[in-house]
Amino acid sequence: MRAYLLSRLAQTVLVVFLSLSAVFVMVRLSGDPVLLFMPMDIQAKDVNEFRERLGFNDPLPLQYARFVGGAARGDFGESLRYRRDALDLVLGRLPATLLLAATSWLLTMGVAVPLGVLSAVHRNTLLDHAGTVATVLGQATPGFWLGLMLIYVFSVKLRWLPTGGTGTPAHLVMPSIVLAAFFAARIARLTRSAVLDVLNEEYILTARAKGLGEARVIGKHTLRNSAIPIVTLAGLEAGQILGGAVITETIFAWPGLGRLTVQALLNRDFPIVIAAVFVISVTYTLINLAIDLLYAWLDPRVRLRP
Amino acid sequence: MNHLKAWLGIGLTAAVVAAAVAAPWLSPHDPLATDFAASLRPPGAPGHPLGTDQLGRDLLARVLHGARLALLIGVCTVVITAVGGGALGLVAGFVERWPAAVLMRLADVQLSFPFIILSLSAAGWVVYARVVRGEVLSVKQRDFVQAAAALGMSRVRLLLRHVLPNVAPSVIVVASLQFSSFIVAEAAISFLGFGVQPPTPAWGSMLSEGRDFLYVAWWLAAFPGAALTLTALGVNLLGDWLRDTLDPKLRV
Repeated sequence: MRAYLLSRLAQTVLVVFLSLSAVFVMVRLSGDPVLLFMPMDIQAKDVNEFRERLGFNDPLPLQYARFVGGAARGDFGESLRYRRDALDLVLGRLPATLLLAATSWLLTMGVAVPLGVLSAVHRNTLLDHAGTVATVLGQATPGFWLGLMLIYVFSVKLRWLPTGGTGTPAHLVMPSIVLAAFFAARIARLTRSAVLDVLNEEYILTARAKGLGEARVIGKHTLRNSAIPIVTLAGLEAGQILGGAVITETIFAWPGLGRLTVQALLNRDFPIVIAAVFVISVTYTLINLAIDLLYAWLDPRVRLRP
Repeated sequence: MNHLKAWLGIGLTAAVVAAAVAAPWLSPHDPLATDFAASLRPPGAPGHPLGTDQLGRDLLARVLHGARLALLIGVCTVVITAVGGGALGLVAGFVERWPAAVLMRLADVQLSFPFIILSLSAAGWVVYARVVRGEVLSVKQRDFVQAAAALGMSRVRLLLRHVLPNVAPSVIVVASLQFSSFIVAEAAISFLGFGVQPPTPAWGSMLSEGRDFLYVAWWLAAFPGAALTLTALGVNLLGDWLRDTLDPKLRV
């Protein structure tokens, strides 16, 4: 177990390191960060001074070495725009994003898993067909359009909910619904097919034959055995919800990590972009590790090998 | 129910393709021609069935021309990612050992990235690589491949003549399932302001402009988004049908 954890943590470090290197390369490929950041009418000597101060005049391998060295100590430099430590800025935005992501993840699971189970148990009934229509539509509707239409109906027309911002639970309603819609559709479809697979197994027939009530057959024998694919996707989605929050945060002016990242990209504020990639990829790989540990708990046949 | 879904998928997809091809004939207006005297007309205005935008451009023409752009981008990214990711998967499945390990770590790096930072074609290859590699691992154990190898066929020829045709159906299915997510992702990127730039009529940037006029002109956001949703819906249903017909066991 300890060997497994150590090897996974080493892999996490490797994945984060490769992600950061990829961002470094992309940032350098996208043009001269100094010129992109400066106003049009700046003088050449100022550009050069700025460049010298930020170390952009040094050879590229040296810049990369310095970047890696700084990253290892958690130092991603100062934001070019706010003149503050980039990692601090990013971490300051993290709680808002985590709140939104956690709410919509809970909403996703709370709606999608029961819907999927009910559709599978009552296969080919009206309920199942209604569920299919809902999931197919949910998967096809882009979040940013759903968000705009919800704002139009509930904020502009009915005036029930705020158009954006943060502070009260009412602010959380539309962003979490928009973020949850797509993922809930996917989870519901997967749950339905996973439960159907298990219902065809012989041990379910046995459980019914020995006279167990339907609630016990579904609740104990079926759910636990169909949990593995659902947990896998739920974990992947926890990561994607963090990343997908970018658009939802933009629509609803939610002061989270995603909005900060998009603005930093538009402003070419690369230290923030890099710090944000760091935080997101660390969170994501840690979630994946947690999922793999959960497998072993759900299904004792799974052996964790380093 | 499944027949209904299949026919709905085929019908919607065919309708979108037809609308994109016939765009100039379906709406006589130029999608870029502005007319300030006729700005922000609601749907149903004479000569403008879907109304006009803040610059007086005909919304129907812009939505139709947006379909052309969306389909073009969808086809290009699907072809690029299918060829790139498929080739990687073929090699990784055939050679096994270290290329496979490198591939899987690369896939992890890819998946841990916030998608928005990546351009579309960089993001899609992973799925093809994974699916194709899995298929190749099983196909290369089959008797006809072993027989061809025993007859002295070269490895490259073996891969191209015998393995590739047998993994092609999965590639087609994955491509159809990814097509709509590419179109939606492109719209999302344009919506955020990184993708196709105005005044080119792209659904994403039209939605982003429509957002500023949500209080006065709901149709500017409603119609491009509806077009996007219907396209995604049609292609998704078509993809499900292709999977059920070609490769029912495939999980993407």
